[in-house]
Amino acid sequence: MERRTFDMSDEVLVVEGLSAGYHKNQNILTDVSFAVRQGEMVGLIGPNGAGKSTLLKTLRGLLEPLSGSVEIGGRETSKLSSREFARQVAYLQQNIEISFGYSAREIVMTGRYPHLHWWEKESDKDAQIADACMAYTGVDDLTERPVHMMSGGQRQRVLLAKVLAQQTPLLFLDEPATGLDIFYQEEIFRFCRELCDRGKTVLMVVHELSLASKFCSRLMLVGEGRIISDGPPSAVMTSENLSRCYGVPVRVVQNPTTGSLEVFTEPPPDNGRHALLLDTILGRGEA
Amino acid sequence: MRLGNLPNALVLPVLTVAFIGVSFLSMSCGQVDIPTENILATFCRATGLPFLSEVPVTSVQEAVLLHIRLPRTLVGLMVGAGLGTSGVVMQGIFSNPLADPGVIGVSSGAAVGAVTAIAFGLSETSLLALPISALCGALATMTLTVFLAMRHGKIPMMTLLLAGVVVGMLLGAVTAGILTVLNEQLIHQYLFWTIGGLDYRRWDHVALGVGPILGGIAVMLLMARHLNILVLGDVEARAVGMPVARYRLGLLAVASLVTATGVCISGNIGFVGLVVPHMMRLIVGPDHRRLLPASLLAGGTFLVFCDAVGRVIAYPIEVRVGIMTAFIGTPYFLWLLRRSRNKMQ
Repeated sequence: MERRTFDMSDEVLVVEGLSAGYHKNQNILTDVSFAVRQGEMVGLIGPNGAGKSTLLKTLRGLLEPLSGSVEIGGRETSKLSSREFARQVAYLQQNIEISFGYSAREIVMTGRYPHLHWWEKESDKDAQIADACMAYTGVDDLTERPVHMMSGGQRQRVLLAKVLAQQTPLLFLDEPATGLDIFYQEEIFRFCRELCDRGKTVLMVVHELSLASKFCSRLMLVGEGRIISDGPPSAVMTSENLSRCYGVPVRVVQNPTTGSLEVFTEPPPDNGRHALLLDTILGRGEA
Repeated sequence: MRLGNLPNALVLPVLTVAFIGVSFLSMSCGQVDIPTENILATFCRATGLPFLSEVPVTSVQEAVLLHIRLPRTLVGLMVGAGLGTSGVVMQGIFSNPLADPGVIGVSSGAAVGAVTAIAFGLSETSLLALPISALCGALATMTLTVFLAMRHGKIPMMTLLLAGVVVGMLLGAVTAGILTVLNEQLIHQYLFWTIGGLDYRRWDHVALGVGPILGGIAVMLLMARHLNILVLGDVEARAVGMPVARYRLGLLAVASLVTATGVCISGNIGFVGLVVPHMMRLIVGPDHRRLLPASLLAGGTFLVFCDAVGRVIAYPIEVRVGIMTAFIGTPYFLWLLRRSRNKMQ
């Protein structure tokens, strides 16, 4: 697996003073700066609504930055054409609906779009790349199946094949594993790990904290409108950081057998109100 | 997983044969019967080819064919093909299988143009006054709808859809208002236009439609691969590097122009633009590189077939094509829909 032929010191993504949000003067994130090197697998973690997806969308240029700059491969992204941008970064959105009955192969082929001029059609080489991507993510037996008729796990692997077919140095994945069976979840992370070892750079929004700490090389904890903590998983995933960010008591424990970090929340203190509410819910209250 | 017993490679050839076959059917049947042989002989004579000169063609047959049936058939093929392809494109642009080519107010705009031409007596002055006035109405409405929906240089599709509906309602009221002050004969003339028909179509109508419709169809066919991307929605299309706004507005303009031209030279023919793309999607799948040519051929075939049937079904009365499309199309479409639902389960 360890076949590093690239230089880990290359900064492929540089973010400076970035503020992001959907409306002016309503920043979700303010003055965020960081740099990502080639081969890093960065997990963006944090509570719902903290701005992880907003950050990813802004980095990909799908949202206009409110201020600050994003550089990818040494070039300011605001100066890239749509096509050039899509050859640098592939983006997997969360909860995507594929209507009209497109087949898996047709969807994966769309990943070749930024490599073609508007008058060109896909060549045999494009077809080979798409096939290889589908074989890699294990969906080569589903090529003709409409994507809307697939299970969540199958669909996600098709979409992963699509972003791989884009052949970009960077991959931005928004919750690629959410809602999948445990096996498919781990598999998505394993694919990313392998790709990063071979020189791709992955930024992913994740909710599965244990998996994130096991597979990611670096975590960024997003909260309070900024990046609270940034570093290797062991440094970021502390009880203190998580409790503060998620606003509930969180305990991080190292599993003695596997060595991986496990995360538990502690229930908030009960003052007897719950018992009363439960009586009502279960219909056992007094008439 | 897809419908249809025909292998994909056979669909386009079969449709092409149907397209040509229906054209001949339309040229041969009607008040004056013209056998296929005579049609071919007339064409040969008209173009100076030395074939079939032994076939006797009466001068009535020749006149009916060259001055009535041929332009009528050509208008039908063109309008049907145009409505079929622009229906596909509209459904693609809006990522909505229920979008109709008239969705941004084209038909209601054309209606205002038509009723104005009738009210001011313009339609009496020349054969083309009504279609041209309707075309102006349609194009003006299209522009108005797009401007109403535009905000900061962007056009949210939902807003555009709603703007189209609202503008359509307003113009419907305008049309109704004008109609209330017209006399019975003029109202009848308008009613005739709204139902949509191919009768009395002359070479002038062919000349008016051929440029915008064939040009528009060519552009849409060239953009087939891009439509495959656009259909996936805004974010997905931008993620693979498509300048979405530019493509969407361009295709919207082309599809609307083709629809508007079609509506103007043959009146309002509903159904073709909505249902033909649906039927073809069920048969050839969603890839626009097959879907667009299939809808083009099927649209033309369907419209001309409906027209031919309408001519003979209640002879000597002619049932107008706008009525026939609904009567023939609805049962077939319902049958396809039920079948596709059964297959999916």
